[in-house]
Amino acid sequence: MQTWSELSETQPTIARVLQNSVRRGRLAHAYLFEGGRGTGRRAAALLLARAFLCEKTVDAEPCLVCRECRRAESGNHPDVHRIQPDGQTIKVDQIRALKKEFSMRGMESAKKVYIIEETETMSAAAANSLLKFLEEPEGEALAVLITASAGQILPTILSRAQVMSFSPLPPDRVTKALVERGFREKEARTAASLTSDLEEAERMFDEEWISQGREKVVQLMNDLISRPQDAYITVHETIMPFFTDRQQIQTALDLMMIWYRDVLRMQVGQSDAVVYIDQEDTLTKQAFQLSQQKLGKNLQAVMDAKRRAGANVPPQLLVEQLLLRLQEGS
Amino acid sequence: MKFTIQRDVFVQNIQHVSKAISSRATLPILTGIKIVAFDDGITLTGSDSDISIEAFIPAEDGDNSNVDIERPGAVVLQAKYFADIIKKLPESTVELTLNDQMVTKIRSGSSEFNLNGQDPDDFPRLPEVEEGSQFTLKTDLLKALIKQTAFAVSTAETRPILTGIHWGMESEKLMCTATDSHRLAMREAGVEESGDVEFTNVVIPGKSLTELSKILDDSEETVDVTVTDNQVLFKATNLLFLSRLLDGNYPATKNMIPSQSKTNIQVPAKQLMAAIERALLLSDGKNNVVNLKSLNENELEITSVTPEVGKVTESVSCDAFEGEELRISFNGKNIIDALRVIESQDVAIQFTGAMSPFIMRPADRDYMLHLFSPVRTY
Repeated sequence: MQTWSELSETQPTIARVLQNSVRRGRLAHAYLFEGGRGTGRRAAALLLARAFLCEKTVDAEPCLVCRECRRAESGNHPDVHRIQPDGQTIKVDQIRALKKEFSMRGMESAKKVYIIEETETMSAAAANSLLKFLEEPEGEALAVLITASAGQILPTILSRAQVMSFSPLPPDRVTKALVERGFREKEARTAASLTSDLEEAERMFDEEWISQGREKVVQLMNDLISRPQDAYITVHETIMPFFTDRQQIQTALDLMMIWYRDVLRMQVGQSDAVVYIDQEDTLTKQAFQLSQQKLGKNLQAVMDAKRRAGANVPPQLLVEQLLLRLQEGS
Repeated sequence: MKFTIQRDVFVQNIQHVSKAISSRATLPILTGIKIVAFDDGITLTGSDSDISIEAFIPAEDGDNSNVDIERPGAVVLQAKYFADIIKKLPESTVELTLNDQMVTKIRSGSSEFNLNGQDPDDFPRLPEVEEGSQFTLKTDLLKALIKQTAFAVSTAETRPILTGIHWGMESEKLMCTATDSHRLAMREAGVEESGDVEFTNVVIPGKSLTELSKILDDSEETVDVTVTDNQVLFKATNLLFLSRLLDGNYPATKNMIPSQSKTNIQVPAKQLMAAIERALLLSDGKNNVVNLKSLNENELEITSVTPEVGKVTESVSCDAFEGEELRISFNGKNIIDALRVIESQDVAIQFTGAMSPFIMRPADRDYMLHLFSPVRTY
């Protein structure tokens, strides 16, 4: 995705707003690009940087061939600064280095762009150190903060940036595209509900990882209702050894969340929208056994677990606590 | 690109430009040295984006032939490998050939290296020197200007603008100012070949100037200086040094300098420095507070106390004293820093009371000025 017209195929509103702002030279000093993986936030940030720096724009479209455009892409533009998490978080030193860079005049022109990826991982100290500088940039600076959820950003930062919400691609489209590429529908649906990035979805299938993980989660969800006392054994024997790192635990929790959503869908009669299409019998059974209130509680429990998983809680404890909460009152 | 070059000349110039290359470069391209072959010579460029150094190797240098250029061209090669390779090559000449895929063949005697290069167009563009916008400084004067101001810049990052030295040029006078908000150093210099250049609010990072001072060869007579919007260029015969400028407004320092004084003294610089250095031995490590008291018409008393450790008293005779009696405390280390760069036998100090800043300058010259804030102790 390199032009506004390409962006407008997936994110029409954002493409129009940004293109108009560039065209009229009325860009805000800071943008927050919020959206799920695969919604094109990074590509849009690069596109905006190019449109801002390129000297030969035609109707706000960057030319893509001039030095500015080429260097912005290769990461060699001296006035484009990208910050990515150093390890788990963005450290305060990274923001300090950025600030130091910004105390100087531009290398080539007066324009400067900084792109901060995964802004939600910024440590509190780093976020606070960014504040003043976000508010009163010297000279012509453009900031693009990229994040998965605006809710996790400090409100003080949020209020200083213009929020652009990237809408997720409709899962139907991703599913269809995946099926066209020769994947089985039951797995395509699962992948499509986990990510809207086609390439990432394909990668999930490459290692057969996702289909195995899916089976394991299905087994656990089954056991929870039909053989509650065995659920812990299932966790120890199949879930924990398989979903090892933090990222994988998150995926497991996502899969569980999708399961409960499916049960809810069965209850309200949207059986054609379910993701676990091969498990229709079990889903129907559980739809009779669980009240909507209980389902809501379960979804809440999974969400809480997801949040904790992002905050250094040992995975074992996390999953066990989740199981206890899921079995409460049943 | 294809040329054959004398290895010793090449090595020497690579070392010059390598000084600008940081091992922790933020842009991948800045890990490299940019090599451009023209018909009349070769330029090498290194940069860490704050400073850039460009060296020119002329094809003919007097009677010596340095480089034999067959085909002009340009490439960027990884400095880390390139510098070591050239240093270790066996013969006294090196041949460089660039092919279409940016792969550079380095040949010397029977050894041959192939280094992958990067696109020279990706290298940051350096500003061009425009005729008529430059002025000329003598090398020793430039070095003196740097030495006499750079020590006073702030090292704290809270106000980045103070980490720089402010240069202003007005009616053929160059004024350099540095301050960390507790002390201020100012040095003025007349510029003969100013070319009618005038500017203000040019703030050059202190670190860049210190680096420049190290690189400048004493054999160079003069340096041409050009100030552009974003950068300042220093041009010696075959060396170009560029530094980015700091962004923002430098504080108006002119108003800070008191025009009247209540007490004027003149003391021998060496004795004063020695006395303060001794007094500092017993001042607490952080604030370096030293007290000064006038005893009579020609004697000053310098004291320092740290209650837990002890006390030191020393009297210093002064050459001249006029005005009110005086008791004042100040940061002794700042005074020493300034005394070190005042190349004069005697210093004149003007006080305006114990709570106001005071001025120190060489007794026999007026192109230099140091301003200090006193420390409040009683």
